[in-house]
Amino acid sequence: MLILKRRMMSITHTAWMAVMLVGPSFAAESPRPMNFANDIVPILTKANCNAGACHAKAGTGQRGFRLSLLGFEPQEDYEHIVKEEKGRRVFPPAPEQSLLLLKAANIVPHGGGKKLEPNSDGYRALVRWISEGMAYGTDADPKLTGIDVEPKRMSMKIKTAQQLKVTARYSDGSTRPITHLALYEPNDKSMAETTEEGVVKTLDIPGNVAVMVRYSGLVSVFSVSIPLGAPVDQLPATKNFIDQSVFANLKLIGVPPSPICDDSTFLRRVSLDIAGRLPTVDETKAFFTSKEPDKRDRAIESLLSSPDYADYFANKWTALLKNRRDAASDITANFAFHSWVRDSLLANTPYDQIVRQVLAATGTISGNPAVAWFKRVKEPYLQMEDVAQLFLGVRMQCAQCHHHPFERWSQQDYYSLTAFFSQVGRKATTTAGEDLVFHKRGIAQTENKKTKQPVKPAALGSPTLDIPADEDPRLRLVDWMADKTNPFFAKSLVNRYWKHFFKRGLIEPEDDIRDTNPPTNPELLDALEKHFIDSGFDLKAVVRVIAQSHTYQLSSTPNEFNAVDRQNFSHFYPKRMQAEVMLDSIDQLTGGKTDFADLPAGTRAIALPDNSYTRSSPFLKVFGRPESASVCECERVQSSSLAQSLHLMNAADVKAKLTAAGGRAEQITKAEMPEPKRIRELYLAAFSREPNADEVRISETHVAKPRADAQGKPLDSQRSKRLGYEDLLWALLNTKEFLYNH
Amino acid sequence: MITIISHSITFGMLCAWLVAPCFAQQVTQPLPRLLTVTPMGGQVGTNVEVTITGDSIEDVRELLFSTSKITAKPVTGTDNKFIVSIAADAPVGVHDARVMSRLGISSARAFSVGKLPEVTRSKPNNTLETALALATNSVCNAVMTKRAVDFYSFKGVKGKRVALDCASVGIDSKLTPVLIIADAQGRDLMVNRTSGVLDFTPPADGTYVAKVHGLTFQGGAEHFYRLALQDGPAPRQAATATVSSMSWPPTGLAATAKANETEPNNQHTQAQKVTLPLDVAGSFFPAADVDTYEFSAKKGEVWWVEVASERLGLATDPFVLVQRVTKTGDKETLTDVAELYDIASPMKVTSNGYSYDGPVYDAGSPDVMGKVEIKEDGVYRLQLRDLFGGTRSDAGNVYRLIVRQAAPDFALASWAVHMTLRNGDRAALSKPLALRAGNTVAFEVAVIRRDGFDGEIELGMEGLPSGVTAAGLKIATGKSMGHMIISAAGDAKPVFAIAKMFGRATINGAAVTRPCRVASVEWPVKDATGDIPAPRLMADIPVTVSDSESAPITITASENKVWGAKAGETLKIPLKIAWRNEFNGTSIKLKAYGTGFDGLKEFDLPLKAATQDAVLDLAALKIAAGDYSLAFYGIGITKYRYNAAAVPTAEAALKKAEQEATAAAVAVKTVAATDATALKLATEKQKLADTAKADAAKRLKTVTDAAEAKDTVDIFVSEPIRISVKAVQVTTAAATPKK
Repeated sequence: MLILKRRMMSITHTAWMAVMLVGPSFAAESPRPMNFANDIVPILTKANCNAGACHAKAGTGQRGFRLSLLGFEPQEDYEHIVKEEKGRRVFPPAPEQSLLLLKAANIVPHGGGKKLEPNSDGYRALVRWISEGMAYGTDADPKLTGIDVEPKRMSMKIKTAQQLKVTARYSDGSTRPITHLALYEPNDKSMAETTEEGVVKTLDIPGNVAVMVRYSGLVSVFSVSIPLGAPVDQLPATKNFIDQSVFANLKLIGVPPSPICDDSTFLRRVSLDIAGRLPTVDETKAFFTSKEPDKRDRAIESLLSSPDYADYFANKWTALLKNRRDAASDITANFAFHSWVRDSLLANTPYDQIVRQVLAATGTISGNPAVAWFKRVKEPYLQMEDVAQLFLGVRMQCAQCHHHPFERWSQQDYYSLTAFFSQVGRKATTTAGEDLVFHKRGIAQTENKKTKQPVKPAALGSPTLDIPADEDPRLRLVDWMADKTNPFFAKSLVNRYWKHFFKRGLIEPEDDIRDTNPPTNPELLDALEKHFIDSGFDLKAVVRVIAQSHTYQLSSTPNEFNAVDRQNFSHFYPKRMQAEVMLDSIDQLTGGKTDFADLPAGTRAIALPDNSYTRSSPFLKVFGRPESASVCECERVQSSSLAQSLHLMNAADVKAKLTAAGGRAEQITKAEMPEPKRIRELYLAAFSREPNADEVRISETHVAKPRADAQGKPLDSQRSKRLGYEDLLWALLNTKEFLYNH
Repeated sequence: MITIISHSITFGMLCAWLVAPCFAQQVTQPLPRLLTVTPMGGQVGTNVEVTITGDSIEDVRELLFSTSKITAKPVTGTDNKFIVSIAADAPVGVHDARVMSRLGISSARAFSVGKLPEVTRSKPNNTLETALALATNSVCNAVMTKRAVDFYSFKGVKGKRVALDCASVGIDSKLTPVLIIADAQGRDLMVNRTSGVLDFTPPADGTYVAKVHGLTFQGGAEHFYRLALQDGPAPRQAATATVSSMSWPPTGLAATAKANETEPNNQHTQAQKVTLPLDVAGSFFPAADVDTYEFSAKKGEVWWVEVASERLGLATDPFVLVQRVTKTGDKETLTDVAELYDIASPMKVTSNGYSYDGPVYDAGSPDVMGKVEIKEDGVYRLQLRDLFGGTRSDAGNVYRLIVRQAAPDFALASWAVHMTLRNGDRAALSKPLALRAGNTVAFEVAVIRRDGFDGEIELGMEGLPSGVTAAGLKIATGKSMGHMIISAAGDAKPVFAIAKMFGRATINGAAVTRPCRVASVEWPVKDATGDIPAPRLMADIPVTVSDSESAPITITASENKVWGAKAGETLKIPLKIAWRNEFNGTSIKLKAYGTGFDGLKEFDLPLKAATQDAVLDLAALKIAAGDYSLAFYGIGITKYRYNAAAVPTAEAALKKAEQEATAAAVAVKTVAATDATALKLATEKQKLADTAKADAAKRLKTVTDAAEAKDTVDIFVSEPIRISVKAVQVTTAAATPKK
């Protein structure tokens, strides 16, 4: 190290001599000696030379020339540029003949094409640096300490542009304009675009968008509010703090909200979102007839206290906690773990306690099912990555190999966080593939793979901890997570749950919380976070406050202004039912049954313990039930496909449900009631609403139509009618109104 | 093709012997096994009708229990029902039930005795509508149905606690129970999936529902349970003893501890001051509890620390850390003196790989038993933690901590040796001591040595029935395992006795005798790919001999004597072999059990050889002067016929039935057509005779199929052989008188 520094100083000295000889123009332009990290790396970064797909490709670089990702390791880059390959990449006697420049300017054919225009500022700076002897710089050189973007925040009208100005600050108090060298990226490309030169252009969607500005490992944000500017004359009554924040924002950006939805829509929506099922016909009728002024709150309470709530949210969590069936013998561990999550939700165990019991689990799976998580996630670094992403909303994966490109997290942070899991002891049990887990006495530490130095535990943004050998460091980690001042833990959960109900998180993706990805409504996120913490991490309280809000209860039908809104919650964004919910709903509507291996008859798809059922059920597979391989909710495919439409229309399993013995079609055919009432029952079952006159008329006509069998022989009226009802059920379940929560 | 290895031997390839695929091969000759007794228990002072099922049990004559306070009589006209009488003073708890059958005494099945009234579920209760009403303070015996949930209803009184307790694993059941209490509509209120107990306080007067199902919804006859609903709080239902509990309690330990821990004592600054010796009870509660005890000790003292918690039946993993405390001013320095983890298993227990590579019995424990040597006068702290307790808050996770001066002692447990077969064969079978005439079996005897006791332990049995002998192959100094060889004479007649196994040693100059409990697996695990053997300690050691079948082979020394030799000599022992069955291959490879002889190189016993010399190179084996016992053993594949004697009996029965049917048919024809009454009687008689004929034919087919020769792999053990090795007289030329 010392030798390297001396050598650099010597190079710097030579470089100065060279500068004096080359000519006064450079000296006049910048008398300051050049510094590789400050002056050269940003040029390479701006030109994308050190992008992951180019010369920073992991392990190999491109065609033997390797750079660190985004220039996070300038010393290594310096070695590669100046010394590797016997120094053939730079040629001080004729700098412009340096391979580095010939390739960058595509004068010599370059796989990446032309990255630098000859005579551009960057090109000329590189020429100068080479001609000056390729100084690395000295310890005395000023260090980059921060970047500032101006303006930081502003309101921009739709389809307007704004030039940003970015300035770098250095340790000697100096500043430099770096607008042309900084990198720009909006967090929602459907709302804003940026240019290389730092111009931000808004598109035609109102709301909040953030532009991340990056320079040499530092980041800053330009926040834009894009108003629609429509009149907001009427706002629904405010039920709770959610409405205050959402409606205030809508007013600010001029997006008028839709009205509050009707009872039918509300009951169906809230039942699907909390309990993962349609309301029963009886529930719907009772709700319609209830005159209680707080009947919506009561319905929410009833759903929250039902085991359906626990089943539905356990389904969500166990997929994220990777409850995978890789071998037949996993069944016990998987059933136990799924049930443990479900029971914890049923008992409304505080969220911090649930997380504590998973992260710091000890014992055997049979004695403590939370241990099963350690069966699925075996390595300490994977445990840390999953915990960070799932419970903190922080993606640490990048920092394993290099400084996080969009974040403040370094490799040291990565290994410090991993060190909390360094004392997880394991012993084989009588069950193949299952270890028991215990706290292994010892000082918690892990090796930083870069520096090869041991690293002690430190929580994100927190000082290093000296944890005694007898304390399980994981308990310290959860202590930090559950601290009321933790900036990630509660925020991550409320954002995740917000997305569950509103289809879109206040931060998107929901598990990528960082300074450069601000929430669309920061005040609301703060308020939700505070509410959750104040409630003692009460998960039902989060669901309750969201479902009770009038924001949640807005109609999904847009008004003349707010159809364009994607992120301000001016109307409810319809969601396609999840695979399991849809299968259960079809069973509920048709009276069909789905049989699942190893589970009692009548077990619903939302109560399935693991991913093995996704493999065995074409329905669940085609509608995107996840394989529990990732902590990301994105593993669940919620997009639509042709296969889905065809499945609903033609698949044998759906057809079998329509015609099931004792099913809805048979029952309704046999029911002693007039035809319109039967049709009403079907509509209540499918849509939780009454049919309108047209729907009754059309349905009645279809059901009454005479039918013949395959040989053309007329069917008796009962049989014919039953076929008519099967048709009607088929038609109802193939509507968007049925398939969507709206 | 099968290759056989053993946890103590490697037999090498037996493939050459075998042409039959492994699935056609039976592991171990059939032994009588009692599988279910329904109901699984009863109330003291009552009579209960029970139904039994089992494997390899015919001609069941008796249902026997491990306490004389429970007796049974067969229900006339049945072959699987008994009226069990439970005396009013029968001990409450779990007892062993077993049957006496053609092959002798069966393996045991738990039978619980309690004070609460009991019912047995008699019809399905798998829906809310069919919920079985359960009275508070009663027990229901039931069997779980696969992929089903059992429903019970009970009346709850607001604020009045009830305890719902499901006994299953502790009474030999394969059920991992899930208990749920729900409201009257069946909506779940609380659940337990780990310990089978719920403590519920009804929020209002009314009907509540208790649901029971298997964790993975498994069911069937082996998944039985006893559901107790009691006023809460209530003690748990009794359970059988784990193998690990063989070393608890130490001999002479008081039933209750002398002191209790005092919280708070988590921190060093809160250490509970104690003096040694120490006997204290405490609990790992709340989560991440640390119990810190401080004591003074003198240089040179040696203290033995023992913790019992897992051995009390709890899912805990105690850990003891002892540190020396030194102070400089206010600054305290802690120096590690001892870290005490688990009680090691006396032998390598099988791994959970694809074949068993050791016994399935673990006499070790996650509990603690270890030594603390005091090197300096001073203050010391002992911290006790549950390594499984970081997040678990259960006041029921109690412990007993004992710190004592050395009280050397030992505890023993024994189990039948079993084979380990490669190629994925993972059979773990219960092996009741139901001996065939001429049979010799081997049991491993494991010892947990306490407080530095390192001496030799002689092993023995007493109370054996006539015709049965046993020889202990002692546990040598410093070793952790010996053998018990039990033989039935070739001419032994059916006998039955409750025997005792024991070990004797000299400790501090005094003779000490300790009992040895026998362990067995609860269920015959014939293929453990998806089944995990569940071993436990048995209540006692019943021994029988059956003359219904004989051992396929009997290996004995040519003379029943003590074989003498001098150290360093080669001792030749002629073996006498009685072959009764056909065997596959050309020879059986023999090795030896017995201290000093386990290194004997295997040698061939050619099939059908009436004699064979066993050659013991005492020099190579480094056998010093002394008295020894050993037994030869080998694994062989025999052509085994199950209950072959039943075939001629069944043939005769069929013949007789055929004759009667023919006679009945003739009778019908000879009856005058006008005599309607006589015709009717004759026709009915013919019908009965035809049915009897069909039954006899069916029975013949069953016994004939069973008696088909089946390749059966088993361990064959010689009768024990006693050897006395004398020291070589050291003589010098000068001392030898000249003639």
